[in-house]
Amino acid sequence: MKFDRRLIYHFDWTLLILVLLISFIGLVNIYSAGFRSFAGQENLYIRQAQWIVLGLLFMGVAFSIDYRLISHYAYIILGVSVILLLVVLLFGYATRGSQRWILMGGFSFQPSELVKLTIILALARYFDDHRSGTAYRLRELLVPFLIVLIPFLFIIRQPDLGTALILLILFVSMVFFAGIQWHSLLISLATAVVLLPLGWHFLRDYQKDRILTFFNHERDPLGTGYHIIQSMIAVGSGGILGKGFLKGTQTQLKFLPEQQTDFVFSVFAEEWGFLGCLVLIVLFLTLILWGLKIAVHSRDYLGTLISFGITMIIFWEVFINIGMVLAVLPVVGIPLPFLSYGGSAMVVLLAAVGLLMNVSMRRFLLQP
Amino acid sequence: MAQIPGRLNEYDPGEFRARFKILLLIVLVALSLLLIRLWYLQVIKGEELRARSENNSVRLRKIKSARGLIMDRNRQVLVDNQPSFDILFIPNRTKDVRDVISKLERLYAERSLQYDMDLTQLKRQASFMPVKLEKAVTREKLAVVETHALELPGVMIDVVPVRKYFYGESLAQILGYIGEISPEELEHDTSGCFAGDLIGKFGIEKYLDPYLRGINGAEQVEVNVVGKEVRVIGRIEPVAGYNVMLTIDAQLQKVAADALGNRAGAVAVMDPRDGAILALVSSPSFDPNLFNGRISFHDWERIAKDPEHPMENRTITGLYPPGSTYKLVVAAAALQEDLIRPDTSILCRGTFDLGNRTYRCWQKKGHGMVNLHRAIVESCDVYFYNLGKMIGVDKLAWYAGQFGFGAPTGIDLPRERAGLIPTKAWKLAKLKEPWQMGETISLAIGQGFNLVTPLQLVNAYSTLANGGTLWRPRIIQRIETQDGRVLRDFDPEIKGRLPLSEKNMELLRQGFWGAVNEGGGTGYALKRLGTDVCGKTGTAQVVGLPEDERARKMMRISAQQRDHALFVCFAPCGYDRRPEIAVAVIVEHAGHGGAVAAPIARKVIDAYFESKKTLVNKQSPVGIGS
Repeated sequence: MKFDRRLIYHFDWTLLILVLLISFIGLVNIYSAGFRSFAGQENLYIRQAQWIVLGLLFMGVAFSIDYRLISHYAYIILGVSVILLLVVLLFGYATRGSQRWILMGGFSFQPSELVKLTIILALARYFDDHRSGTAYRLRELLVPFLIVLIPFLFIIRQPDLGTALILLILFVSMVFFAGIQWHSLLISLATAVVLLPLGWHFLRDYQKDRILTFFNHERDPLGTGYHIIQSMIAVGSGGILGKGFLKGTQTQLKFLPEQQTDFVFSVFAEEWGFLGCLVLIVLFLTLILWGLKIAVHSRDYLGTLISFGITMIIFWEVFINIGMVLAVLPVVGIPLPFLSYGGSAMVVLLAAVGLLMNVSMRRFLLQP
Repeated sequence: MAQIPGRLNEYDPGEFRARFKILLLIVLVALSLLLIRLWYLQVIKGEELRARSENNSVRLRKIKSARGLIMDRNRQVLVDNQPSFDILFIPNRTKDVRDVISKLERLYAERSLQYDMDLTQLKRQASFMPVKLEKAVTREKLAVVETHALELPGVMIDVVPVRKYFYGESLAQILGYIGEISPEELEHDTSGCFAGDLIGKFGIEKYLDPYLRGINGAEQVEVNVVGKEVRVIGRIEPVAGYNVMLTIDAQLQKVAADALGNRAGAVAVMDPRDGAILALVSSPSFDPNLFNGRISFHDWERIAKDPEHPMENRTITGLYPPGSTYKLVVAAAALQEDLIRPDTSILCRGTFDLGNRTYRCWQKKGHGMVNLHRAIVESCDVYFYNLGKMIGVDKLAWYAGQFGFGAPTGIDLPRERAGLIPTKAWKLAKLKEPWQMGETISLAIGQGFNLVTPLQLVNAYSTLANGGTLWRPRIIQRIETQDGRVLRDFDPEIKGRLPLSEKNMELLRQGFWGAVNEGGGTGYALKRLGTDVCGKTGTAQVVGLPEDERARKMMRISAQQRDHALFVCFAPCGYDRRPEIAVAVIVEHAGHGGAVAAPIARKVIDAYFESKKTLVNKQSPVGIGS
């Protein structure tokens, strides 16, 4: 395959710098969250830095290969990642009552993170292949629905409600973007309303607790509401300017649960205050808008769908995670992109950004 | 060519412009919502939530690991842990710190309880950290705090395991004590200690601290406004420390300590067969139980500044002139170097002249004609002055080294001292003066620069007793886990072999047997049927060697300058008998060894064989004849 110099010329530096900036903030924040913790956790920020480096390698791979070639294998890639999910269910190891990881060599890997990205690729491929010019009808959406449903069920079995929810939201977003007929939309909404109480029975007790608690924080201040209340106290006590780096008492006293992962934003908010949060949210907003811009300016529909899907994942995760920490949304285990500690999520996210770059730098190329 | 998906000609982003706009709107609204919420939490309610964060009632509580026990050779427990109660205070639990403190003081005063609260930490620490108000409080105070918990927000009781030393003073310097880690120690610590952790500070507690300590656990607990614990959020179990078994025989140790009484001195008891230490007594002593966190400043001053140094383990750090007990080395050197034969006789008239100086025998009128055996029995100084002159200082020093003098014995206790065995080179290097022959004469009867520890003495005589094996004395027998699994056994360790022929050693043993058992022997007071004891008395002059007897008597007036009494012995002796016990006794400023030190050794040896007899009786099957 011939190498085109214009690819370098059109490389998306803005996107790279944005992502590196946010990742760096995340790294500093994990250093603070992990500071003075129990032995064995003290090197978390070093681990995270290693994950970022690994992620940058995957990013390089992801923007080097033309996304149309990647898309050609989209279903195979999805198939592999779904098989990995199955492996997790059968042989994976569990922590905190949930079986999400497979051990590979010395480190663990979370296939559910990978599935987010492979589903985008598969959905983009499907909608690109089956473009009708008019809005889709329910029958035509059956295949993409199945594409999402199978991994969705696997992930719900783990159980990982957060990731499953993200898959569902992603599907809805992509369908909305691809276009759906009004009456089909109404029918699905009606079905969802009917299925909702049924789904309630499938939720585990702690999941029900979380949702109930969301409607009344003080319902069980020492139980489930505990996280939310403590998280709100941590965020609020940051004030306008924050308590300063490494000064967050809530964090340093180690009572905030999951503070390196799902509740990492509360650490940030306590130490950097409203101004810090404003900067971070503006950075995320810029990233999302940049992603949408790439989608709009893509040279083909496939590129638009891929970059749109990736941008949506980042947007929804940011919104749901921060919303959860700020007690605007119920507690669901969704990490904050680039800030939460987690190797698989970080590597997959950076690879996804690589795909965004892929679309961005090839927008000037014509059909080969 | 592979078919690449994508239909450029049909593609028109314009079709999706409207949807993009809707999405843009959703993104903007969602993120604005977050910012509004942040504004509400951090700016509008910021103050209130900050106040709440400072009252937050979750804290991390350390669970102290149980420190390992220390046992004697018969598994008699010497140290264990018992609960003690501290009163803690968390300043941020109350608005008015002064008020709570004075309320507590009033409650104490009403019951006329003594109190001594440490309020200095209150200012130094962050307000959410617990401060230790009082350590090791009485049950009465405990009751006061418990019943008035509601009036005393922030005040709470902490249960701390405290070391209980069952043998108190008699084992104080060996076992040592524990205390809170000091800032300096914390700085050099590599084992993950935190401020407030208890570590070994002295003796075995210090020496084996890493084994005894165990690993602390932790617990995340939630407490309500009154300071009452509501629930435990998380817990890491502590790991108990290892138990330690010593070679010490606690009963024998007690006998030795009682025999020495309140006189300053030391008793070292060793098994010559394997170098195991049976007892190490140093007097005066202190009560290690005082160091259980409850030591008052007054007590500490009293112990630390006592001119008699009760915290010093004299058996390994006390340096004494060996006096006549050193004649062992001199006789051994002269025999082995073939300078004398056993029947070589010398006339003792009570004095020995060298140049223009005269050296006296302790027996003013002289011993008459004495051979080696009688010279040892009667401890004739003149005989040994002659030997010393023949041997010379450096040869003598070499033999002293073979007996283990002049170097640490290597016992497993911290801070052991080497003592001093002078040589010509040493004096030239240290004092920049050449060696004087007269100094060798003094050395020959154990005076002069010579300094030995009681442990070195008992070790040297053990070497003769066991036929020439110089052991590394051992006090630690075994380290085992809480459930009795042996982690490490300490085996006997040979440090060297005496360069003496078996014949010469037998000659020496007969001499030391005579010193105790023959008429005219200096240790005759010790003579007892049954257990034959070999031994040597010694009288170590504290101040030089005054030639004028009147001057010497004058000096004895001051107790500080009276001679040290020494006695070293081993038993049982005789044909086909292997000595099982060696004892060295030093009583400071007590006068003559035979009169003062020997009876102490007698009691120890008697107790040893007495307990052995009962042990044998217990073990031997009853009713052989029936």
